[in-house]
Amino acid sequence: MASASSSSKNEAKPAEAKQPEQAPVTEQKTAAALEEDDEFEDFPVDDWPAEETEAANGSEGTQHLWEESWDDDDTSDDFSAQLKEELKKVEASKKR
Amino acid sequence: MDSIFDKFAEAQLNRNGYRLAKTLSPDLPNEELYSIWNSCNAHDVRAILKRSIQNTATGMDKLPHQEVAGWVEVYYTYWKAVGELLAVQGPSVAYGKQFQPSSWTKVFAAWTDLLSALIRGYLSQGFEAWTIPCLYVAGKHLRVFAIKADDERNKNSSLDITAGGNFQDDFNPEAEQHAKLEDCARQLQKIFNLCLNDRAPLEESRKWGIYYVTNLQFKTYFKFNSAALSKNVLKAISAGRGDMPPLTAFPKSQQVTFKYYEGILCFLEENYVEAENHLTEAWNLCHKDATRNKELILTYLIPCHLLTTHTLPSQKLLEPYPRLQKLFSELARCIKKGELHAFDLALQEGEDEFVRRRIYLTLERGRDIALRNLLRKVFLAGGFEESKEEGGSPVRRTRVPIAEFAAGISLGSQETLDDDEVECLIANMIYKASKLYTARSRAPGSVYAQLVIALQTNGIQESSFQSCLASSILASLWRWRCLGLQGSTWTTRPLGLMKGYIARERGIVVLSKSGAFPGTGI
Repeated sequence: MASASSSSKNEAKPAEAKQPEQAPVTEQKTAAALEEDDEFEDFPVDDWPAEETEAANGSEGTQHLWEESWDDDDTSDDFSAQLKEELKKVEASKKR
Repeated sequence: MDSIFDKFAEAQLNRNGYRLAKTLSPDLPNEELYSIWNSCNAHDVRAILKRSIQNTATGMDKLPHQEVAGWVEVYYTYWKAVGELLAVQGPSVAYGKQFQPSSWTKVFAAWTDLLSALIRGYLSQGFEAWTIPCLYVAGKHLRVFAIKADDERNKNSSLDITAGGNFQDDFNPEAEQHAKLEDCARQLQKIFNLCLNDRAPLEESRKWGIYYVTNLQFKTYFKFNSAALSKNVLKAISAGRGDMPPLTAFPKSQQVTFKYYEGILCFLEENYVEAENHLTEAWNLCHKDATRNKELILTYLIPCHLLTTHTLPSQKLLEPYPRLQKLFSELARCIKKGELHAFDLALQEGEDEFVRRRIYLTLERGRDIALRNLLRKVFLAGGFEESKEEGGSPVRRTRVPIAEFAAGISLGSQETLDDDEVECLIANMIYKASKLYTARSRAPGSVYAQLVIALQTNGIQESSFQSCLASSILASLWRWRCLGLQGSTWTTRPLGLMKGYIARERGIVVLSKSGAFPGTGI
């Protein structure tokens, strides 16, 4: 079955696993699979109803899937102390 | 063969293109392929095909003579391709003796004949538009066979052991590497033209095949790294869009795939706003269980989001995708915590992977946000000072010595930057547009003077500016400013990552009392 169906890599792999004597072929396939990584896969079906889309599922309110790029709840006291240390070090090195 | 023609007759009767296309599938178990191959021989195959197809009832009438001849050719070439396929992949013990040694190159050639027979059928033998899924099957597998043929040849020539090696053209291995796939691309272009140039009324037009074949072309062009060729296809589509059914009228699998590639093409042109729109559409329409495809969409959508809206993926979003976690978690953490040096290390660490996925340059721009957060932390660490007004509540200290920012930056890397360099970084922050401009920069020389004036009003002296100009740090600032000059918007400064100015002679940065770091709550 590692035949023309290898358009879908997922099917092809387990079939090969059963045939260790074909090791070189498997190696080559893995390399090809890596290269092909961002190729969009064929969907198992051609079309689907709106209820089965990602928008209708999971991402109800996509907002919470993304968050702010900054963060205030770290220990800014620690940072402040470290910063003072660093500042002393930098100034000391400049005075030399 | 009989079972094929039962299905052929049924599909013709119901005018069901997808059923019809199934009769041309090479994706069958070897036993089935063998029974097809074995049901005729080279002498009688055409006669058998003709008899079977002639007798096919299509509702009231039989198939017109010309069309029969067309389908006979199609199934004859199919039958021959099945033979080649069996010779390559059939278990040699069972069938081997009947077949000459074959190769994927031969399968590819045989399958090209099938595609040509189909195209002739549409051009001159009256094949109707409802049968276009046959073209899908032909195109899809032609690509698969082309890739196998290229792999096979590359493997043989790299081992350089077979006699065939003598025929290899060793002078240009790069071009040779994808020889069959490029051939395939030319065949796909024929299907594309066949669909696009159909003048029949929409309901019976081959234009309904356009997105399927376009998606195949995208996949093919991406495989040999030619985004430019993909752009040509896009251009042809948008030129013909007026006479075409809207994309939303096509099956969702085709819509999502098309939007994914359209999004990546914008992404590669650094048009992140449009890329985000296309990818978001692809994401929303994608089938909820198509995990791998959702992962692929996010691979590009996440860097887009980072640049367009300065937002990061949440743990919840990444949770189902271990690969994405590996790609993005550490970078996102560093950005969020403002750990600039750790960000650089993480970017370096994943460089190969990021480059391979074409997202390195985009992620690199995330450094600005990491830096913004680091500077923001320094600002917060500065604490409060008493309000100048009597009894007013304390306000944040907005005059921050450059040395403090410098110390903040060297805290992570343990390398001390020159004050000039730090100033440049800060100046860049102040100017950095939050909206992304995608036009290319074309800067006339006279712009320089205006640039200097603009910089001076923001506290940077020309000498200091000159010393920095060579450094890449200011390159993007320069680029942005040039863009700004193209329109009449020179005076309107966009929202920066940081608001304030550098008072150079005093060695301090004076930050805005209201929103020193716009959009981050302080």
